[in-house]
Amino acid sequence: MTLSNSITIVLAFGLAGCVTASVEDNREETTGLLQGETVVVMAKSYHQGNETEADYISCVEKSLGRGSGALKVVPGQVFVDSLFPWFEPRTAPSDTKGLVLLMEKPGVPEAIKRMGVRYVVWLDGGTERITQGGSLSCAAGPGGGGCFGFAWWTDDADYEASIWDLSDSEAAGTVTADFSGTSFLPALVVPIPLIARTQSRACSGLSKQLKAFLSSNEKV
Amino acid sequence: MIASTQLRSSAILFSLLAAGCASNVTVEYPTIPAPNVKKLPLDVAVRIPAEFNNFVHEEKVLGRETWTINLGSANALFFEQLFGYMFDNVIVLGPDDNALDYTFDALIEPKIEGFEFSVPNQTKTDAFAVWIRYRIQVFDSAGNSASTWTVSAYGKSQKEGMGGSKSLQRAAVLAMRDAAALILLQMNKATKIAALADGPLDFSQIESSASATQDAAYDNGAPEAIFAIGGIDDDTE
Repeated sequence: MTLSNSITIVLAFGLAGCVTASVEDNREETTGLLQGETVVVMAKSYHQGNETEADYISCVEKSLGRGSGALKVVPGQVFVDSLFPWFEPRTAPSDTKGLVLLMEKPGVPEAIKRMGVRYVVWLDGGTERITQGGSLSCAAGPGGGGCFGFAWWTDDADYEASIWDLSDSEAAGTVTADFSGTSFLPALVVPIPLIARTQSRACSGLSKQLKAFLSSNEKV
Repeated sequence: MIASTQLRSSAILFSLLAAGCASNVTVEYPTIPAPNVKKLPLDVAVRIPAEFNNFVHEEKVLGRETWTINLGSANALFFEQLFGYMFDNVIVLGPDDNALDYTFDALIEPKIEGFEFSVPNQTKTDAFAVWIRYRIQVFDSAGNSASTWTVSAYGKSQKEGMGGSKSLQRAAVLAMRDAAALILLQMNKATKIAALADGPLDFSQIESSASATQDAAYDNGAPEAIFAIGGIDDDTE
């Protein structure tokens, strides 16, 4: 391996922005998944002001379904379509009291049983840029171009997953993930991005904790 | 020759710049999943207005960009499918069909009363939003106006990619789906259409339904007044 290759690898993997993380769970009832039972991941309704990004939901959905301790995940859209019109942004129950009423509607328990859905994970929250600074300028001319300066920014990813157990229409608990990451972009002719993948880290952190939470037989 | 090449280049540049200031969104037919609700035992006729077959909304945003949203015949197909799921029998009437030539318990006339949207530039968020206001008028089998109901639907989609056309398209489809959910769960409560299975309204009912039609509680377009968001109304069926 040449020196330049080694430097490239170090730059790609070694230099990244820093991320601080906090993942916690709050258990309200005993969980666990039996053979054939599945999980669905949904965003809390935008009618209630939720702004959770679609790519974050998709990331959690994928992360739960792969790797060690992978869970069987029903795609959110399949679940919503099968239960139309009861899980639309306007009509989805906002609490487990509404869930009890929903389970009495014709066709609803049957559709849930058909898909084997045991838990609904409601995601709330988002990633925001909280601070940024520095300055960076780039110029290009006939002889070439380049950038000079230094810029930085901090993203805060704050998500909460509320878990409902459909087998008894109760809230099973919550898992929260709070990640904060600062990215740097120094430039001396060539900009060197040191990006903190805050949202991506929040996705893997929350998913890992959710897997443990849902699969665990820990008593309350 | 050089002048002609320059002219052609200028024309291409101009058309590229012009295209950069206009966005066209075409909404394909939004399929509604088969709903988990019981059909109402009614024979209804649905009059599809001419505008439902070719609805185009054009708006200039912040003096910069013109958005053209072409719903085409999406509304016509949407209401045909929706009412097909809601009632036992549905006859679809064109704008020029005479309703007296058909037998039914109720005649429904949906209309678009308003169409609005917002883009991220306006709201300083990453989301496109669409509001559609439908007015649904219900007549009995004798042609008396039984009730009028305004449905305000909302759809929101986060910006994906550079242009945002797909996001706006998705927001429009979500708004139509929102309208479908509201109509499926609340139409009978709001319009009492099921009562028309017993025959046309009598004179006193016509009087009261005419006043109900003008009642702000029905016509102010506030869905929250009759349907609490994030919950299920016990009287939905």
